[in-house]
Amino acid sequence: MTRARIFDLARPSRQHLLGYILLAPAVLLVGLIIVYPLVISIDLSLQAVKLPRIGAPRADFTLANYEKLFSSAEFWMACWVTLKLVCVVTIGSLVTGVSTALLVNNRFRGRTLARLAMALPWAVPEVIAVVIFAWIFDSSFGLMSWLLVTLGLSDGMVAWVSTPGAAFWAVAITMIWKGFPFVSIMTLAGLQSIPADFYNAAKVDGANVFQRFRWITLPLLMPVLGVTLVLVILWVFRDFSIIKVLTEGGPLKSTQTLSIMTYDQAFGFFNFGYASAVGVVTLVICVVASLLMLGRETRAMY
Amino acid sequence: MTKFFGRSVKTMTIAAMLSATMLSPALADTTLKFVSWQVDDAGTGDWWKAAIAAFEESHPGVTVEFTKVERAAYADTMTTLFAGGQPPHIVHLASFEYQSFAENSWMENLGPWLEKDSIDTTGWAGQGKCVWNGETACIMLNYFGFIMAYNKAILDKEGLAVPTSYAEFLDVARKTTKDLNGDGITDQFGTGHETKGGAGQYLTEMLSYILDAGAYWTDADGKINIDTPEMVEGLTRWKTVVKEGLTPVDMSAGDIRKLFADGKVALRLDGPWLYGTMQKGAAAADTAVAVPPFTPPVGGSSNVLGMASEISDEEKALVWDFVKLVMSPEWQRKYATIGKNTPPSPAADVSGVEQEVPHFPLLIETMKAAAAANVDRIPTGLEIQYNEFGKMVQEEVQRMLIEDLDPADVVKTMQARAEAIQKG
Amino acid sequence: MKRTPMQSLVLYGTVILLAALILFPVYWLLVTALSTSADLSQLPPSFWPENAQWQVFAKVWEERPIPTWLANSMLAAIGSVALSMVVSVMAGYALSRFSIRGGHSLGLFILTAKMLPATLLVIPLFSIFRSFGMIGSLWTLVIAHSTLIIPFTTWMLKGYFDTIPRELEQAAMVDGCSPMGAMLRVVLPVATPGLAATALYAFVLSWADYAYARTFLINAQGSWTANLGITTMRGEYTTDWNEISAAAVFVAVPIILIYLFLERYLVGGLTAGAEK
Repeated sequence: MTRARIFDLARPSRQHLLGYILLAPAVLLVGLIIVYPLVISIDLSLQAVKLPRIGAPRADFTLANYEKLFSSAEFWMACWVTLKLVCVVTIGSLVTGVSTALLVNNRFRGRTLARLAMALPWAVPEVIAVVIFAWIFDSSFGLMSWLLVTLGLSDGMVAWVSTPGAAFWAVAITMIWKGFPFVSIMTLAGLQSIPADFYNAAKVDGANVFQRFRWITLPLLMPVLGVTLVLVILWVFRDFSIIKVLTEGGPLKSTQTLSIMTYDQAFGFFNFGYASAVGVVTLVICVVASLLMLGRETRAMY
Repeated sequence: MTKFFGRSVKTMTIAAMLSATMLSPALADTTLKFVSWQVDDAGTGDWWKAAIAAFEESHPGVTVEFTKVERAAYADTMTTLFAGGQPPHIVHLASFEYQSFAENSWMENLGPWLEKDSIDTTGWAGQGKCVWNGETACIMLNYFGFIMAYNKAILDKEGLAVPTSYAEFLDVARKTTKDLNGDGITDQFGTGHETKGGAGQYLTEMLSYILDAGAYWTDADGKINIDTPEMVEGLTRWKTVVKEGLTPVDMSAGDIRKLFADGKVALRLDGPWLYGTMQKGAAAADTAVAVPPFTPPVGGSSNVLGMASEISDEEKALVWDFVKLVMSPEWQRKYATIGKNTPPSPAADVSGVEQEVPHFPLLIETMKAAAAANVDRIPTGLEIQYNEFGKMVQEEVQRMLIEDLDPADVVKTMQARAEAIQKG
Repeated sequence: MKRTPMQSLVLYGTVILLAALILFPVYWLLVTALSTSADLSQLPPSFWPENAQWQVFAKVWEERPIPTWLANSMLAAIGSVALSMVVSVMAGYALSRFSIRGGHSLGLFILTAKMLPATLLVIPLFSIFRSFGMIGSLWTLVIAHSTLIIPFTTWMLKGYFDTIPRELEQAAMVDGCSPMGAMLRVVLPVATPGLAATALYAFVLSWADYAYARTFLINAQGSWTANLGITTMRGEYTTDWNEISAAAVFVAVPIILIYLFLERYLVGGLTAGAEK
């Protein structure tokens, strides 16, 4: 067999090799950008490091960061806050996203315009979104407080940043506004791929609108929603700028998620070893959550 | 745009070829990187720009690249630059954060440089704060005292005099906090404090009341000294001001200053930098400055200038020339005339500055008062843990406000937590 | 199917109300830009400033290098679109056409790019890019953004390729095309809607970045992107919200326009991907 023949990718037996070659750039790119930082982070999390210096000799191996982490009330509080935020934002985005998608999936005049409007926040960069919402949730002159007072829902201006519950909702509402359009776009795509025949058949069988949604739309949307859900959850886990600008994790750590805690420990208190431990644990949680979400139907993602 | 691609393609090729070797930054066109948060600040920003221009003129072929990084992102940006091995040549840091960088040997010991040029820093305000582990890690750029700005129109309307004590201050603040249009929402405040935008600033805002009550976080030896009756009094005052709604809540320092400058706040305690904002505000004609009604006034070190330790000797020599320039009596005087701020140098001739900056004698007076009382915002013994300590105090104070706790209990919690933080 | 007038009313009413709610914050950005600082600290808030300060746009445009910022954002986005498309077309095609052992795990591995907190990524990435001499170059953004983009676009394109019958390529190969040739000349043209959707997604993600730009480009003012530029407008002592908002409007307009033009492809391109 000549050398040329080995690389004759047209041969059926060589085809899988082409597959690997085509996949290689993606894996290499992610490998370069993720694996090295990941190795560094795991390594740092096992040392007592205040400020890291890439390339410096490593300090002694220690599990102290993890011991401190698991015995710290702050960490468990951050886990709880993250969980709450993930639930609220995911459910909020899902409900808003799916219902707006169902709404603009109807045929009506101006539907294209409505579709554009519903998903527009997705295109607004987060940096700009927080500028807007910081003003809307301003405690002294913000629109939201004024609205609540005017509508009689609140006695006085709401101190968004110094009231734990209010702070959480300010963050959650901003995140839902930014997060739901992606769900909406994905749902719309999913809806359009459902053959109209299914609905017609169901109508002949006498299924009402809710039954059709429950038994046709929802099951057929599930694969898309599964992927969307994972992406939304990972976004909430990692997101940092919305909370940082709006509440800085406060008050009383009521909006301090794992990613804010990582940031504060790393760049606020210069405890990089400890911050890395928080980050590594966050990663593990994300991996497990993604596997659980995608694992049931393993081919759902790829 | 084409330049970007041309240069970038080249970069990529070289990078691909030499991926294993380290490439050091090119030195041919000597550029000194200088990152700061003060680039756009009225006063200090202008002073920096003028000093850089003068430096570049006397050093042909050398350019100083003066880059703005917003304060909120400053610590992480600087950390990344240093940790990634590409620090700015000229290092500008806040006086509460340089210690961590010095601790990592990232800052050049300036002691030998000062000695070489026989520069005497005796009497240089706040310079003692720049000594870390026995080395001179930096030069103190600014040591300031707080002033009190007030709105004459608001005070006159209520027939009130400028307060000279805490009791009077509280009285004025109460009488000037008003709902002017009757919609049930306060729209004019007696005073204004920043309560959003970082723990360090939160502590500074409280400090006026605490110092006036005779309390402080640590004693001169760095021992935690929070659980005292004086501190209880200080916290009680803060609680009174916030709980009674005499200050707007959740505002960043910038927004508060704007609010004061636009005539919605009667009294505001702040540093010398407030003046620039006041002059630009809608109520510029009504605002004036006075000695704070609190003794001693809040004061302290603000920001420092240093040199990265991991740059070449040629670059170090250039950076040192720049540091020397800004330390010279001429530029220290300009720190007052252009920067509208109090220069730390004892050699700076500040005579006649009051013609350009009318309140300048007041700035000097409060700075001296603060210095005489040995006041600083950064507590001795907690320099490295300042951010963590600040965050803890802010959290406990917020808890006191939210859950309406007794300050006498709060100081006990804070004492215990501060001791734990100090131990590490 | 005909709607009763009542149903139409409810439908239109809901759509208009929802659209107004969703678009309101964007409108509020414009109002903030046009207000004076005194207007902003006033209750009740004015829903349209009495004397709108239109000159703020001219002022910001003059004082800040907005065209440069926008051009840099544009270059980084175009680069990210190009790189992530090439990479994810290849990967998506491989996952769709070849039964690759461990393909699923590799797919999940690519997803980890979206899992590690950015805080931990920045310092190691800075050091990698530094050793390639790339700090301060927009290429850093192209590479970093692409890793965030390809997990999703690969999945999207795999789904799209799945809907294209294999017979197309097989026929081409019988005619003497190589497998690569078949993919490039036969499959890709058919996949245009999927590619357009990928491009828009990539563009939006790249345009939204701030954290990476700040880390890699802060010391190279000529390379600042729009989002980075905006945040440097925040001052230590005061912040001019109206000016920041005006700058934000400049940054939001291009991305909104691009979104408006490409949105139909997004849903169209995703539709095939959604078919399972």
